[in-house]
Amino acid sequence: MNTDLLIFFTSGAVAIVATILVITQYNMIHALLYLIVSFLALAVVFYVLGAPFAAALEVIVYAGAIVVLIIFVIMMLNLKKDAEEQEKSWLTPSVWIGPGILCAILMAEILYVLLAGGFEGNATQAVGAREVGRSLYGPYLIAVELSGLLLMAGTIGAYHLGRQRRKVIHRFLEMTDE
Amino acid sequence: MSRADIIFLLPHLMLTLGAVLVMMAIAVRRNHFAVYVLTCLTLIVALYFLPKTASLPHNVGVLFVVDGLGVFNTMIIMLAALAVALMSYAYFDTREERTGEYYMLFILATFGACIMVISGHFVSFFLGLEILSVSLYGMIAYLRKRERSDEAGIKYLILAAFSSAFLLFGMALIYAATGDMTFEGLSGYFSAFDELPILVMTGVGLVVVGAGFKLSVVPFHMWTPDVYEGAPAPVAAFISTISKGATMVLLVRFFLAIDGFRFPVVLTIFTVISIASMVVGNILALRQQNVKRILAYSSIAHFGYLLVAFIAADELGVEAVNFYLVAYFATMLGAFGVVTVLSHPERDAELLDDYRGLLWSRPALATVFVVTLLSLAGIPLTAGFVAKFYLLASGISTNQWLLVILLVVNSIVGLFYYIRIVAVMFDSAEEREARPAGYVGNFATLLILVVLLVWFGVSPQGLIDVIRNLVGVG
Repeated sequence: MNTDLLIFFTSGAVAIVATILVITQYNMIHALLYLIVSFLALAVVFYVLGAPFAAALEVIVYAGAIVVLIIFVIMMLNLKKDAEEQEKSWLTPSVWIGPGILCAILMAEILYVLLAGGFEGNATQAVGAREVGRSLYGPYLIAVELSGLLLMAGTIGAYHLGRQRRKVIHRFLEMTDE
Repeated sequence: MSRADIIFLLPHLMLTLGAVLVMMAIAVRRNHFAVYVLTCLTLIVALYFLPKTASLPHNVGVLFVVDGLGVFNTMIIMLAALAVALMSYAYFDTREERTGEYYMLFILATFGACIMVISGHFVSFFLGLEILSVSLYGMIAYLRKRERSDEAGIKYLILAAFSSAFLLFGMALIYAATGDMTFEGLSGYFSAFDELPILVMTGVGLVVVGAGFKLSVVPFHMWTPDVYEGAPAPVAAFISTISKGATMVLLVRFFLAIDGFRFPVVLTIFTVISIASMVVGNILALRQQNVKRILAYSSIAHFGYLLVAFIAADELGVEAVNFYLVAYFATMLGAFGVVTVLSHPERDAELLDDYRGLLWSRPALATVFVVTLLSLAGIPLTAGFVAKFYLLASGISTNQWLLVILLVVNSIVGLFYYIRIVAVMFDSAEEREARPAGYVGNFATLLILVVLLVWFGVSPQGLIDVIRNLVGVG
């Protein structure tokens, strides 16, 4: 078995394990840590398959922007006194040791690739930023616009459903008040 | 994109323009009537810009195939959307103070369905389906103060997301095996196979799971009654007609392209799904007391019937599918229209008791409901009968005897619960609380639908000619 395949299967396994752990965790923050690992592992998979641009986007957009956004929301929802202690409890060693081990595996892979002087991957050709841009703004231009409409539908739906629910007073309680 | 491409996509562009205009209108001032008129105008303008028949078919890039099948179904979807919009005004006018978002989601969902029926590529297939589903999440749970709406919304959200994952994985497997995502290219690859390779077979199976969820055929039907019950009545009408119809047309296009029924395994899968949907849908409907749930089970059974013509997959079969969709759309819209008109602001008229004595208290409305129920049951002189006859003809011409016999048996079982609703309406009248006042749009829509149902039932030749001309081109 050559090293390309080894790297592919290792990072694939890391992605699967991390994703299963995302689903099974009860604590949001724990799940998020595993989610980041899962994205990083997927980035390595993309890289091995010959899509360095997609790998970079996976790290920047998913692991970077989106997860940070989710963390922001969670932090903003917990502004009470006890939130501080809760946040402390989120970062005990037992929490980060699992994601840490999985990340270490990915790190070892990256180090190996770097020390070996880079490698081409087992794809027939690498798909870089230029090719991605060409196809997105060439034959798939309408698809990009459709994704815009998809996001619009999602935003409007979330906006409507996320509005604060009005307080509904129970009719019997209302009667006793009078 | 060339100038010609833009002309062929004008109906779709008009819909997106309409969605943006509605958004702007809400930003300026929230006025339900203005938004409603804008929505209807959008649909009418989009209908006006439908491509002329003579210029078909036309490929827009690799993503879209604007052919007779696509244009005909785009027209049907937009007309159905117009009917749903007309019903929605009366419904939401008495219920929710924030109505603007509904119409935006509504236009976007219609747009997604219109994209689906002309897509000739996995990418546009998936994006159209997702635009439709994501808009529907918001529409199903729109009346948040209601007890069941959150449940229905969450159920649809999770299951639709799950089925999308199946669909994507199936597409990925087919792409991995063939290296092509256009239906045109895939047809070339598939014609080279004598037997499906295991990777492609898995891919096709996963695509069927994803599409089967949207069609709510057995065994992917569990969500249907709950979502129909929890969703507002016009939205339930939208799901049962436009969402299902668009998926069906897309499946027809895909399986015609790959000539899927050449492979015995695909034939077996669809035969089993068809039989299961007919039998399970009808049996579960028998003991229901809730009209919305009865309609949900009835729609499951109807897509079981429809698959008989789909399996035939010849010219007659495609015609039958199109005719059936038109008849089914008109019937379901009529049935849900009656439910909409009778609904109270707090809850929809979904219990069988809500219809007791309807024939004496509101004879006109009851007549409409009777006609739609008879059409669902497939009684002669209604569109439902001709449609079912068409299905039988296409089934017999391809010697699908098992399916044909089961179709007839199930139609007889189905009669029982349709007639039961009719019988309840004939019951003696009792004192009822005052019903909400009617709106002109509602009654006009219902009247037109009933006229269409009877007209297509008595003289279907006009519609058959239109379908034959258009579908023959593609």
